[in-house]
Amino acid sequence: MTILVAHDGGPVCEELVASARALGRAAGWPLRVMQVDEAGVPAASCGRIEGLEVEHVGGDPASAILEAAAHPDVTIVALGLRSDERPGLGHVARELLQSSRRMLLVVRPGMRPIQDLKRIIVPLEGSPSTSEAMRVADDSFCTRGREIVMVHVVTGATPAEPGSMPAPRFMDQEHYEWVEWQDEFCMRFSQCSKGGRHRVCVRVGEPGPTIVAEAHDVRAELAVISWRGDLGPGQAEGLKLLLEKSPCPLLLVSQLVA
Amino acid sequence: MWKNRHVSLPLNPLDEIDRPFPVVCLGWDAVAGPGAASAAAVRSRLERLTALGVDVALLGAAGVDAVDGRLHARPGVEGRLFFILSHGAEVYSVGPGGPRLIERRQPNDREERQLAAAAEAAQQEFAVRGLHTIVSAGRLGRRIVDLLPGRRGAIGPGSRRTLEERLVATGFRDLGEAVSLVRRVARAQGVARPVVTTDGRRLSIGLTGPADAARWVARNLGADRGRSASGVLVLGRQFGRVGGAERAGRRLLVPELDGAAFVSLAEERDGVPVGVLQLGGGSVTFLRLLDKQIEFRERVARDGFPKLSGEEAWLYRVEGFDPFREREVETWLTCANGETGTRGALEEGSAASTPATFVAGVFGDGTGDPMIRQPVPAPDWTCMRLRLDGSLLTLANGEILEHRRTLDMYKGLVTREWRQRERSGRVVRVRTARFASLDDRAVMGLRAEASLEESAGVLVWEGCLGISHAGGPARETTVESLEAPGFLAMTRGRNGGGHGLAAVTMPAPGSPVVRRALQSRDMIGGWVEADEPASVDRLAVVTSARTRPPSPAGLRDLIDDAQTVGYDELLRRHIDAWSRLWEHCDVTIDGDPVAQLAVRFSIYHLLSTVQPLKPTVSIGARGLSGMSYFCHVFWDTEIFVVPLFIYAWPEAARTLLTYRYLNLPGARQKARTMGHRGALFPWESADTGGETTPPFGRGPDGEKIPILSGFMEHHISADVAWAVWEYWKVTADDEFMTSMGTELLLETARFWSSRSGRDADGRFHIRLVVGPDEYHESVDDNAFTNVLARWNIRHALAAWDWLKDAHPDVADKLHKQLGLTARELRHWRTVADDLIDGYDPATGLFEQFAGFYDLDEVDPARLQPKPMPADLLLGREVTHASKVVKQADVVMLCHVLSSEISLEVTRANYEYYEPFTVHGSSLSPAVHAAVAARLGLAEQAMWQFRLACAVDLADNMGNAARGLHMATMGGIWQAVVQGFAGVRRYGEALSIDPHVPKEWSQLAFPLRFRGSSLRLTFKADEVGITVEGAPLPAILAGREMTLELGEHVFRRGADGGWDRAAPAAQKERGA
Repeated sequence: MTILVAHDGGPVCEELVASARALGRAAGWPLRVMQVDEAGVPAASCGRIEGLEVEHVGGDPASAILEAAAHPDVTIVALGLRSDERPGLGHVARELLQSSRRMLLVVRPGMRPIQDLKRIIVPLEGSPSTSEAMRVADDSFCTRGREIVMVHVVTGATPAEPGSMPAPRFMDQEHYEWVEWQDEFCMRFSQCSKGGRHRVCVRVGEPGPTIVAEAHDVRAELAVISWRGDLGPGQAEGLKLLLEKSPCPLLLVSQLVA
Repeated sequence: MWKNRHVSLPLNPLDEIDRPFPVVCLGWDAVAGPGAASAAAVRSRLERLTALGVDVALLGAAGVDAVDGRLHARPGVEGRLFFILSHGAEVYSVGPGGPRLIERRQPNDREERQLAAAAEAAQQEFAVRGLHTIVSAGRLGRRIVDLLPGRRGAIGPGSRRTLEERLVATGFRDLGEAVSLVRRVARAQGVARPVVTTDGRRLSIGLTGPADAARWVARNLGADRGRSASGVLVLGRQFGRVGGAERAGRRLLVPELDGAAFVSLAEERDGVPVGVLQLGGGSVTFLRLLDKQIEFRERVARDGFPKLSGEEAWLYRVEGFDPFREREVETWLTCANGETGTRGALEEGSAASTPATFVAGVFGDGTGDPMIRQPVPAPDWTCMRLRLDGSLLTLANGEILEHRRTLDMYKGLVTREWRQRERSGRVVRVRTARFASLDDRAVMGLRAEASLEESAGVLVWEGCLGISHAGGPARETTVESLEAPGFLAMTRGRNGGGHGLAAVTMPAPGSPVVRRALQSRDMIGGWVEADEPASVDRLAVVTSARTRPPSPAGLRDLIDDAQTVGYDELLRRHIDAWSRLWEHCDVTIDGDPVAQLAVRFSIYHLLSTVQPLKPTVSIGARGLSGMSYFCHVFWDTEIFVVPLFIYAWPEAARTLLTYRYLNLPGARQKARTMGHRGALFPWESADTGGETTPPFGRGPDGEKIPILSGFMEHHISADVAWAVWEYWKVTADDEFMTSMGTELLLETARFWSSRSGRDADGRFHIRLVVGPDEYHESVDDNAFTNVLARWNIRHALAAWDWLKDAHPDVADKLHKQLGLTARELRHWRTVADDLIDGYDPATGLFEQFAGFYDLDEVDPARLQPKPMPADLLLGREVTHASKVVKQADVVMLCHVLSSEISLEVTRANYEYYEPFTVHGSSLSPAVHAAVAARLGLAEQAMWQFRLACAVDLADNMGNAARGLHMATMGGIWQAVVQGFAGVRRYGEALSIDPHVPKEWSQLAFPLRFRGSSLRLTFKADEVGITVEGAPLPAILAGREMTLELGEHVFRRGADGGWDRAAPAAQKERGA
């Protein structure tokens, strides 16, 4: 269980390393740091990596990172994005997102780096296949003194997948239904018994902006996101928005991982 | 009468007894007489037979010391082996601890003296004839007259000849005459019913004899255990005569055992009576016959796992195991019988399991507010763990090869089939079958069977009492071990009722496993060969009381009885009860398996949730399948659920309405508390009859929200009144109306007249209410409420007039009891006449409440897709200010009062309100489906019907996780019967106006209506009606007729009307 921090000495390098360190502390995972020097791009150094040995690799960055990430010990690849102003993703990040079977910790300039990991936000649409993020959050980070906020955004759509549990479509007597629904929602999507606090937030609206707003409101230090591995046009719009607007680092759990 | 059966035996006499017998009686002479089999051989067979579930009785003249000293049989459970000894005077039940006396016929002093005098007088009579005899005292007052004093030992041919010679020499024809003499003498001495038996040398005089033993068997092992005499096999050696006297075995042929199989194992030279099969063969035949019975039973054990119904349409299957859906599955597979409801949780449990058993009517304080009543769950009686060579078998331990659970709705049985490759690589096959008895509602049963495929090993079942995951109020449970392995758990809720649960586990008939108690757990198991099943039966009984825990002693008796009857017999009776119920409650839909499943699933759960014998309980919103809604009773029961029972099982409907009658004091108290008169039923009702709706609840983010339904949703009083009237008119149960119904109608009418107020416009209004559409609270003049209130008042007055005519004495008593005055009744009429109802004759529309038309319009596109929680998606404020309807409200009114609101008005209101209705309540779609069907809107009706079916059965919403939606299920029945089939009461006639969906090739169901038992069959253009019991007043698509007994078939004519297709006696009264 290792976090592979892949940096290019870019502007978010320090936040990336700090976040990876905090995440490693929280989960008990060691860090491995590699600096990827892309041909034609001036190499930059990264501060605040004292105590960590840095491997330097060259060549195509995405291929190099993917090769390193293929090591069985690597659980998470930590990656810094270039800028908080440029929309979309760079080619390295895009390649990793689409091809890597490891979880990705993504830090973009402007995101609050993780410090103590007191609060995690996990968006859940209420279907089993998109709840992998919650399993990761519970397995890796659920502990006493830490809160996991399960955000369910009600859109009116009902997932077709068996085992789904969206916000109730029928609300006969709300003083019973909401309490029961929250209990069942927690039971379906969280099985942590290690003392961490779980809270279900129900919000209405477009998933992307609503999750960004909630992450701001609860001062989340990390958002753990399930996604289907497809960044094509019209796909993963919520994720794309989070990559741009999230106030905290994202831990992306692809269903390819599951 | 007498003949030698040797000459008339069939080619193979064993054919006559070549079948399993549940009761085997053995004459002690056959067990221990000359040439008997070894005690060990008999003992092992007796213990095996009893372990296989056979009742064995050993009958004889000997005492218990002699019998037990020789046999020393120790069955695993008590209640299967009995010694009926001392000439039928003593009965012992033999268990693991040995014989225990359960009955004894001890002569009193006077009888003792009479017997002694009889023996003395007989001796004198014999002496007068020159026959020297000796009299001695036997056990329990018996007197023995020895006709051959001085001879010792058994009776042989030599001594028999000697005795015959002596008897003849002293003037007796034979021994029979000597017996007759003694009997005569005994009567002369005052012995009322002397029983004189002989072994060929001695005469025994007593008060009991073999016939008493036979009658005990017939009564206790036969009739009391639900068996006929044909299930009794009697093996003996002395059925014939000796010296002209009847031998003991002959006395066993009592009328109560007519049909039993009697077999003589001796070469009885004087023949045997008719009805006795003489096989001879002594101990060889004896043991062979016992072995045959063991073989039969072992075959039963191998094939003894309950079979599912053959017709797939009765089965609801759940394949695999999905932790996400497990709570839904548990709910779907609930086993209930109105008294208890047990969720279908895995026996061994899992992280996803929430086992719970609910006991109807037992509540306690769940919060600091004593008003909030919560059910008190019982411990989990289904908890059974399986160990293979010591390792616990769970779904998480190894690989699931196969896992299927099936609800057999016809049999009321839930089965499980599971194959697991455990970590060592061995494959274990597990099957379980559970039920909550409909025959004896205190009883629940579970059979668990495990076997190893292609390997042998030690399989051990561990029966325990699990923890209920239902939460519930503060409660206290004490658990103690029963004397026989098992548990007894007594539970009491805070300030409330209590229940006791006793559970025992035992080896199933035929299983090679044995029981051992280990640290108060039931451990049953042992070494099994490949494919040999290790099977156990778990039986549980529950008793309850509303104010205290019931008596543990009663509970012990019940579990003893259940154990005695056994799983197989309990299950057989349970299935019979379901079978009888389905005969008059089933609905069949051909051509649409999804609809068929949904309607049967609904009916099954409704039937299994009602307790027809206990009017102190009713049907909660989620039945007995989950903790949700705290088992509280809402309007759901009267409006949605009761109609099924009225038409299919009126006795149960009456019980449900009696629940409301018994809770009238609470309803009166609520009305008084709110400043009104009469009876205002609580919006949520539990055990006390008081209001149990919490004043506040929690919203989606845990925020505190006020709950107004308990304060303002008053239409429930009219809903109860409606159900009372509907029940009366459909069943013609005048007795109910006399004893309860009229009072319910009067008290609810009184509430409405008190609740209504006259305003400046001169009209009466009902202000500040919540109607069925709960998105709009604190509204004035809700049409559903007001129209039903007016209906309530008018029908109360009609019932009152009827009572005064039909039962003036009762009316007079009720008049005084309620303090009714003519002035008050006049006021009621005024209120009814002047009550605003929101109806506009110009449009045919009811305004849902005052001001509804002024609310904001919402783009219909924003109300899609349905169903939708509009208040969540649009926000509370917007919803409250908009024409958005949570559930059928005015449409509901048109459905409920369909015999008073015309189809045209119904159509106008349906078309107006349907676009606004988002079906944000599970109660809504089925009602809209029923109304749309009546209006001939086939597509809409089917879409809404499917939506209703999906409420509990869809697997992508999680609705059923915490309990079934009883109202939806009742609504599904109404949509089919009253909507698609168009069968409804109109006045005192049955109106039939079908709109059967084209997907359904046939729809059929039975009904009961005013003394008639009907079977209705609908096809696209054909209606078949079979009438039994009484002629049926009917209206077929507007045409009134009386259908006489017999079959009637109508076909749709070219003009759309219905023409008679088959001749039958029929009186038409014209259109």
